[in-house]
Amino acid sequence: MAEDSGQAGTGALREALRALLPRRKEDLRLDFGDRVERSAVTLLQRAASLFYGGARAECLRTSEAVLDYAWERLNSGPWRDVDKDWRRLYAFGCLLKAVCLCEDPGGAAGVAAALKVCDMGLLMGAAVLDDVLTKVAAVLQTHLLSGKRPARGPSQEPPSAKKARNGPAAVPEMRSEEAVPRLHRPSLQCFRERCLVPQRPVVLEGVAGHWPCMSKWSVEYLQEIAGCRTVPVEVGSRYTDEEWSQRLMTVNEFISKYILNEPRDVGYLAQHQLFDQVPELREDIGIPDYCCLGDGDEEQITINAWFGPAGTVSPLHQDPQQNFLVQVLGRKYIRLYSPQESEALYPHDTHLLHNTSQVDVESPDLEKFPRFAEAPFLSCVLAPGEILFIPVKYWHYVRALDLSFSVSFWWS
Amino acid sequence: MSVKGPPASSQVPGPSPTSPVAPSRGRCQGKVEERPGSWFGFGFCGFGQALGSDRGHQVHSPQPLCSPDRGGDICSVSASWSYTAFLSCAGRVQLSGSAGGAADGCRDLWASETLFVVLRDGRGPGARAELQAWAPSSALRGEPLWVQTVEAETEREGRAGGETPAAPLPLLPCARAYVSPWLPLAQPLAPELRACRLELGTEHALLLDEAGQVYSWGGGRHGQLGHGTLEAELEPRLLEALQGLPMAEVAAGGWHSVCVSETGDIYIWGWNESGQLALPSRSLAEDRKTVSGEDGSEVKGTARTEDGAPTSFIALQPFPALLDLPLGAGAVKASCGSRHTAVVTSAEKLLTQQVESQPPRGCSSGQ
Repeated sequence: MAEDSGQAGTGALREALRALLPRRKEDLRLDFGDRVERSAVTLLQRAASLFYGGARAECLRTSEAVLDYAWERLNSGPWRDVDKDWRRLYAFGCLLKAVCLCEDPGGAAGVAAALKVCDMGLLMGAAVLDDVLTKVAAVLQTHLLSGKRPARGPSQEPPSAKKARNGPAAVPEMRSEEAVPRLHRPSLQCFRERCLVPQRPVVLEGVAGHWPCMSKWSVEYLQEIAGCRTVPVEVGSRYTDEEWSQRLMTVNEFISKYILNEPRDVGYLAQHQLFDQVPELREDIGIPDYCCLGDGDEEQITINAWFGPAGTVSPLHQDPQQNFLVQVLGRKYIRLYSPQESEALYPHDTHLLHNTSQVDVESPDLEKFPRFAEAPFLSCVLAPGEILFIPVKYWHYVRALDLSFSVSFWWS
Repeated sequence: MSVKGPPASSQVPGPSPTSPVAPSRGRCQGKVEERPGSWFGFGFCGFGQALGSDRGHQVHSPQPLCSPDRGGDICSVSASWSYTAFLSCAGRVQLSGSAGGAADGCRDLWASETLFVVLRDGRGPGARAELQAWAPSSALRGEPLWVQTVEAETEREGRAGGETPAAPLPLLPCARAYVSPWLPLAQPLAPELRACRLELGTEHALLLDEAGQVYSWGGGRHGQLGHGTLEAELEPRLLEALQGLPMAEVAAGGWHSVCVSETGDIYIWGWNESGQLALPSRSLAEDRKTVSGEDGSEVKGTARTEDGAPTSFIALQPFPALLDLPLGAGAVKASCGSRHTAVVTSAEKLLTQQVESQPPRGCSSGQ
């Protein structure tokens, strides 16, 4: 049934991958600055020579040694200080390893392993050879999925809604004077004058309602488009908990473990640049026009995916950029506090969590945090098709009322 | 974002399993009795480091080490990722692997990827010893990157020159400073610390003082400082959890720390992502349980204890944990690679806590 089994499939895959790589080793351009140790570059050069010399098994071993060492450098010091050249080296190692894994006649298992390696290179590496890892990943994904696409039926109701233990989540009581104001398709000027300049939150209606994602996305669709891709998942009720951790798994594993089948723990695919990793999903979303009112270019906008079951919580925190939070699936309850109220929100004094409040918004300890009770706030329930504008450094707390998928745009 | 990665494959030369290293009773006043034994090596040697007779990319079980030019017994070894440095009892230093070169008249050595540090006898009678830092690629020719004359520590405890100094590198013999791979190369230490042993991890430093107390400082994001938090410490801070328990040895890995008490107990803390703390590790459990699904996808089973409950994994241990060794053995010495730990026990066994990588690596024990 699957036409990719056997020699013909592997041969076609090999050709497709070869076409993405330069013909000669020299064209790989393995140039790195002084921050990368010569020994690591030497080893990578050797891996490349082995690859172009046809020594697959040895290239694989050597690439793994390069990746071991580069991974340690990527984990040394704060992520923002990691030199980009180390990330490029890591990406090259992933590239060679992934292609070597495919060239063995290991069948689907080898290709799935290779896709994981590509995803690691995309997650932790930096773009090389004109973003070749994204292209390799796309080829591998096509190869894995060919012959297996399920018939596209109408998108079904999310299964977790059927299995919800307590019925649909109750919407918190909200007095109207605390509601985030709403605007319907404001002009650029109107938005700038009434929201951006005075730094006031607003819910924008009628702006994203017709993006393809609003009608196309479902759990089944995500499994189909991105199921075998590896993503980072946050496990635990909230990131301020001791039991909280981050883990890597495929989208299929995430959905199976934390969305469907009455999950035991809370898992949240949060703050992940999924649309860089899976360009096909990028086609389904737009970019709010209002971003052009900022100083940066479109390339500098950070787009993050937030996908999880009902009940995920982002504790009250602030971000250093303006944010458009677009709701695609399900609803989210969101509470907002102005930066002027910061003292009443008792931020942590550690460096790691200085942008996070110590207060649990929906059950605050008022003995410990007395001033919190008096701090004024706005709140809303964000529904599919709506966009919430969160001004820079505006404190926000988010809880998913349903199975939810949001897309955030950080811009300046 | 903290991400789990592939298993470690850094190398470690093993101390001799055939003759024990006697615990130094006088603690760090010097290694009291050290009967010369043989060095064994195992691990990754993809740069052609002399790790024994097997010249393949990986040496799976300990192989006898011989110095590159067979020039005399190996007295001490310092291993970096891509090269190994050997010091013979006659004072000859040799580098093997991505870096080469040799030098005579050396007493102590310390190897890292960016810097090779050697303590050399002074030239001429009565001359002071010199600490030299070289770029590994220099093959020890030309001029070192940095030189510092050291005080004559040879009179300390009545030791003659040519034997291992009282305070091993990276501590300077005067113990009032240490060498690090980062600028400035010499980092001062408060004299009241009375340091006798110092170990450097990737982001942190561990210090053992003459009273057997342990201090730590540097980055703490993986709990490697042992103070119970993930905060960094700028200055040496006493490990309060170990206060009053005299330690005999300390060792620092990439992001973890180990110490051995005078009574042979091991305390360990820091990052456990590769199982280097010998505590339950998620990545190890998942690697063991990975099976192939029907469509070739990998399905990770959840590790479970015998009664079916999911085991709890420890990703990091921010304060010291006491480790139980198999068979109730007592520890004598500990050593760390970037993501693994090795311990020599008083029963002359070498135990290593490491990750199953592909190909599998042997856990070795002496006879």
